[in-house]
Amino acid sequence: MTAGPNKLLLRMTVVSAVLLLSLVVALVMGLSLGSTHQGFDAIINTLMGQSPSDPMLQAIIWQIRFPRVLLAALVGAALSAGGLVFQALLRNPLAEPYILGISGGAAIGGIIGIILGFSRFPGVTLMAFAGSMCTLMLVMIISSGQSILKKDALLLSGVMINAFCSAVIMFLISMTQDARLHNIIFWLMGDMSMTDLRQVGILSAILIPGFILFFCLSHAMNLLLMGREMAMSMGLQLKTITLTLLVATSFMVSATVSYCGLIGFVGLVIPHLLRMVLGPDHRILVPACILGGGAYMVLCDLLARTLSQQGEMPAGVITALIGAPLFIVLLKRSNR
Amino acid sequence: MTAAVDTIKISLTYGKMPVLKEVSFAVNRGEFFVIIGPNGSGKTSLIKSIAGIEKPQNGRIDILGRSLSDYGRKALARKVALVPQTAPVDFPFTVAETVLMGRAPHLGLLGLESESDVKIVRQVMAFTGITELADRKIEHLSGGERQRAFVARAVCQSSEIILLDEPTASLDLAYQVRLMDLMEALKNDHGATIIMVSHDVNLAAMYADRLLLLKAGRIMSVGRPSEVLTFETLEKVYGCTLLVDQSPLGDFPRITLVPGKFKLLTGSGNRHL
Amino acid sequence: MKKLPCFPRELSPEVASNKKFTIMSIIKSMLRYSVALMLAGVVLLTGDVAARQVTDGIGRQILVPDNPVRVVALAPSITEIVFALGQEQRLVGISQFSDFPQEAQRLPQVGSFIRPDIEKIIALNPDICIAIKDGNPREVAVQLESLHIPVYAVDPLDLESIMTMVLQIGDLLNVGDRAQTIVTGMKLRIDRVREQVTRTKQRPGVFFQISVSPIVSVGKGTFIDDLIQMAGGTNLCAGYSSYPRLSREQVVVLSPDVLIVSTMHQDVSIDQIKAEWAGWSQIPAVRDGRIAIVDSNIFNRPTPRQVDALQQLVRVIHPELFKDSP
Repeated sequence: MTAGPNKLLLRMTVVSAVLLLSLVVALVMGLSLGSTHQGFDAIINTLMGQSPSDPMLQAIIWQIRFPRVLLAALVGAALSAGGLVFQALLRNPLAEPYILGISGGAAIGGIIGIILGFSRFPGVTLMAFAGSMCTLMLVMIISSGQSILKKDALLLSGVMINAFCSAVIMFLISMTQDARLHNIIFWLMGDMSMTDLRQVGILSAILIPGFILFFCLSHAMNLLLMGREMAMSMGLQLKTITLTLLVATSFMVSATVSYCGLIGFVGLVIPHLLRMVLGPDHRILVPACILGGGAYMVLCDLLARTLSQQGEMPAGVITALIGAPLFIVLLKRSNR
Repeated sequence: MTAAVDTIKISLTYGKMPVLKEVSFAVNRGEFFVIIGPNGSGKTSLIKSIAGIEKPQNGRIDILGRSLSDYGRKALARKVALVPQTAPVDFPFTVAETVLMGRAPHLGLLGLESESDVKIVRQVMAFTGITELADRKIEHLSGGERQRAFVARAVCQSSEIILLDEPTASLDLAYQVRLMDLMEALKNDHGATIIMVSHDVNLAAMYADRLLLLKAGRIMSVGRPSEVLTFETLEKVYGCTLLVDQSPLGDFPRITLVPGKFKLLTGSGNRHL
Repeated sequence: MKKLPCFPRELSPEVASNKKFTIMSIIKSMLRYSVALMLAGVVLLTGDVAARQVTDGIGRQILVPDNPVRVVALAPSITEIVFALGQEQRLVGISQFSDFPQEAQRLPQVGSFIRPDIEKIIALNPDICIAIKDGNPREVAVQLESLHIPVYAVDPLDLESIMTMVLQIGDLLNVGDRAQTIVTGMKLRIDRVREQVTRTKQRPGVFFQISVSPIVSVGKGTFIDDLIQMAGGTNLCAGYSSYPRLSREQVVVLSPDVLIVSTMHQDVSIDQIKAEWAGWSQIPAVRDGRIAIVDSNIFNRPTPRQVDALQQLVRVIHPELFKDSP
């Protein structure tokens, strides 16, 4: 009748194992496929580290594709988990990781960085991060007139800030004429090319503690859904936990967006999809979103790299093309 | 003997508006204590203050002999449970999962429940009569069923003190009685202290050991139902014509509303029979 | 001077470490006469190759193979120049949209000018990549160099530096003579144009449009601005930023004597352009019918064909100088 504790642990383990496996499969696929076609045997040999194959293949797999698939996994995990946390914090199914003005600020910062001619890392990344922190603070200030825990105030401020930022972004784009315009547009749509292991290392140092934090607070997130008063009456340090989750998630999402631009629909769709399949318990959903979101992003990035003969598409295009219809399907399913 | 709850001159204001004015009273352990009064009298704010959700600007509240501010949130939750007025409708969990969450103050970080927790939940669900609803989702239940699930969750907290804010407001007549019986059983069999806000004066009269009558943030009267529910006091507080007599069911008052059209028929005003 | 720098002028970390390698002495004339020596096509990425240290087009000291045989051109203009030097057999990969000459389109493509595909480049096992400073992303060069693929960067900013670039690439590919011939030819034609232009004192006002909608012109410091000056015209937008966007009213105020439109779209015809401007006969260029379309490829690309562009411009701006020639 009731889900016993062992059953919960069992479910958590099974779900995590299955999604971890899918992540590994996605990673292997991401390493094996790309804009050039290598023989399958050669790839397996290289991956297994056997018979040092030609250095060119080594270079392609380990120096080009490996950092990239790792980055994709981190990005997918961060955006999915971020979306899940915001949906719990704000008790709103439309919440997604960019909702507090983070995307607007990051975009403006990133675009200014590109216009000024900075290189992708660290120049543009730092500018984007600074931009998103600015808009986040702006949102907090605007909504602090009312209680910061009143979710609607936060949401509305975020929406307004994002709208304003869109206008600024349009303005900046219209001012740019040359090759930087291409760069800007690609960045805006999500661009995970041009990365290396050092950058991936830095991002994982920021994200992994965040993931652990989310997991530790997953039961609290369950309780949060009961509403402010009931949650408090059951022993939840509401203010502390809400602020911690808010700041940590915003920080993580900002860092993520600063690396790869605006990749949308992951933070909205993946939590809903997993919730439909696995149920609403965050103790299962948090690891599921991290692993499943990572696998999803690796696959989307793979498609972005290999689908078109004309060259790579921005990853954000793929996530939108898949995510939007998927979300509509989910919506119809849940209405029944 | 230490009181379950002891409030000493608590005053609470929302912004500029005073809600509670120097409210002092004590609730004994194992007592069924009901707070009544017209809308806007501050009943909900009072309950929330006792639950530690609102913080009065002045005064002090002691829970089981210790000041409220000395309790950590979780420690407080082990002593005091709250059933608020409104429960979330779009709550995605099942009844069983919801009731299980009531064990949260006794659980560790991830909220991993043990066998004994599950047993308690089963018992409580049987006690509150919602066993057959166990696997249904909260959002698919009727208002009354949902209420019972959240009450069961509060009971699972195994706290000595249970606070309820107008719990019968959305219930059918039958369930209203069942809920009150449930609270009484908890009091009698488990020594729980029940502090309830109610708008139903008669129901309060039937179950309460003592009543607190609030108006505009001040205590108008505290004591046994027969002491508090006099027609002078009630008329002053509620501002309408009432007929107060002895209930045929026992040694407590019965309050009947007297709409205007009946005054003419009886030919006289209030009467205490 | 022109646009903002994209490449670092300082040494990349990998280049700094190249100094540890054995430096073989080179003499410029030796290169010119040693074309016959071609290594058999075994080229490994691990530096067994005979290499020499050169200064590339933006002043970096890099190590390049003595005789590059697997060259990747990262811009369409580079492809053109390699073909012009007759060294297309050395090319293993070219930038997308390298459409001149026609034969180039048979070669494998490695992504666009702005987004080169690193994977494709590496898969071709090149021994050198030639890149353009303003346009190819710096990160790509950094990544290639970290994989021990040398990147030779050039920086064509005007006709002078285009000629320098041709010489530099010629030296790189051991065809310095050929390069010199091309450059000499270019100089001759440029001088001829200069001489033609001195024959007239007129300097008609020119409005050069690189985009039809919106109307975008060229300002000071661009290739085209230089060409207009050399062709004996006055660029009416010289006072603006590099690529200013103007409204029709502003063009009317500028009152150009000659209107030139360069377009990448093959389907835009002279009649369409004339129709666009038809209602604005206050503009002398429209009134006198002095509207011309030119091929944007020869105007936008930093290649020897810019001299063709120059000659075309002179004919459009000073038709009176050519009344007697066929």
